[in-house]
Amino acid sequence: MQEQPSILIVDDDPDILDGILMILESKDYELRIARDGVQCLEVLSEEVPDLLILDLLMPRMDGWGVIREVRNDSRYANMPIMILTTVIEDASRRRYELETGHSMDIQAYTEKPAKPAELLSQVEKLLLWKK
Amino acid sequence: MEKINNSLSVVADRLRNSEVFFNLPDKDLLEIAKFCQEEVYQDGQTVFVEGDPAYKLLVVERGKLAIEKKIQLGRHSTPRNATIAYVNPNQVAGFSAIALPHNHSGTITAVEPTRVCAVDGMKLREYLDSHPDAGYQVISAITSLVRGRYQSATNTLTYFLSIVSHELRTPLAAVENYLQTILGGFAGELNKKQERMLKRCVIRVTDLSGLISDVVDLARMRPEQIQADFEWFDPGEVGHESIEDTRLAAAEKNIQIHIQPPAKFKPIVGGRRRMRQVFTNLLNNAIKFSPPNANVYFRARYEEDQLIFEVEDTGHGIPPEDLEYIFTDFFRASNVGDSPGAGLGLSIAKKIMDAHHGDIVVKNLTDDDGKIIGSLFSVHIPLNLSTPEMRRNEWMPIKSNKD
Repeated sequence: MQEQPSILIVDDDPDILDGILMILESKDYELRIARDGVQCLEVLSEEVPDLLILDLLMPRMDGWGVIREVRNDSRYANMPIMILTTVIEDASRRRYELETGHSMDIQAYTEKPAKPAELLSQVEKLLLWKK
Repeated sequence: MEKINNSLSVVADRLRNSEVFFNLPDKDLLEIAKFCQEEVYQDGQTVFVEGDPAYKLLVVERGKLAIEKKIQLGRHSTPRNATIAYVNPNQVAGFSAIALPHNHSGTITAVEPTRVCAVDGMKLREYLDSHPDAGYQVISAITSLVRGRYQSATNTLTYFLSIVSHELRTPLAAVENYLQTILGGFAGELNKKQERMLKRCVIRVTDLSGLISDVVDLARMRPEQIQADFEWFDPGEVGHESIEDTRLAAAEKNIQIHIQPPAKFKPIVGGRRRMRQVFTNLLNNAIKFSPPNANVYFRARYEEDQLIFEVEDTGHGIPPEDLEYIFTDFFRASNVGDSPGAGLGLSIAKKIMDAHHGDIVVKNLTDDDGKIIGSLFSVHIPLNLSTPEMRRNEWMPIKSNKD
């Protein structure tokens, strides 16, 4: 039997987390949560999930900061990142490029609110992603 | 004695270089210099806060100050400071020291290590009261500065809006997220009534977030941003996409969209996504303001050096007194009634067409008796636009003759 895929969801809004969890709980996933970027990095250092679902605008460390840290660390090279945010995609990519000089290495960008069916199919697709 | 006079004349020189006191004769400057004091602020230090009593007028000598306004929406959002202007060397902050009620109307923060010459507000007022010539010069200099800041208020407004919109979007996204989760059946089975009501909720909430997006969009609508995305595209294809965008709305009111394309569409340069936004907006308006079962016409034709798209409806037209304002931000015609909208669609369309060096114009259509029977919007797209790559190539270094 195959192991349950593990997903870490990071968002500072408890209602958003609640909704996303409810959708993902319909599948056989092992779900973890973090409430900001710093907590996200703590959880990541304990165990690398099969997928990271990441909000951008968060206190302490924002999502762009998390991407920067994670993409500079070979432990997470095979971990796909899905952005789930209210920030418009091109504005977000431009900001990351201006700050880091690199393009944003993420595997999916979804603007909130995600439709449940689309969220589930995207998650499924990303779990198959390998560098 | 000699020494004091020297330092007074140094201060007077500084005042003379400033945008407020430059018109004053030496004798006034030397008198005002007597109640000036040098102050130094560190990077990030707050100089004064909005609402504080205004005791002094600051002439920046070195460094930079930011004038900020605090914005907070509701109790839960984080207050943010929006910078509305910078004050550079020889510029002046703290006009409120001269104007009643002598309270600062903004917060001033040093954004660099900054040295200022602080003029005592109370003494300055007394001096200007008793020396009307100097008073007049100072007041007229300040009036023209305030005019300038007033003009930049539009920029400030759009900046405010972009912050405000984000604050509005966050809770809305949580609501939409829950609605979608419930509708998807992830929180248990729904009966038909509940499902219908929740679907209506989704539609209303989606409308609202569309309005908020419009506001954000307007804030980001700068010509150079639009021009940076110029590319070659097939205008016919984009026209079709716009019809697709509005198909549902048209079907709901049983409105027929009649398409009258030119014999053949040729590729043009422009902002593909933006152009679709313009057409979709015009078609949506035509549908929104037409009675049920009406006809809407969507035409395109080439004319010498431009491509013209037209959207014609059979609605109640635009009141003649409103015609000249309908492309203005937040303007909604007086006869729109309950139709939803923030009044930004046409103003966004106008900004897009301006960035294309094109035009968008409107007229009412009338019957033989002069009665309004609809309106006609036309979009003019020049055919000589360049993509960023083409613009770069135009400025390539000239090759030498040997090549």
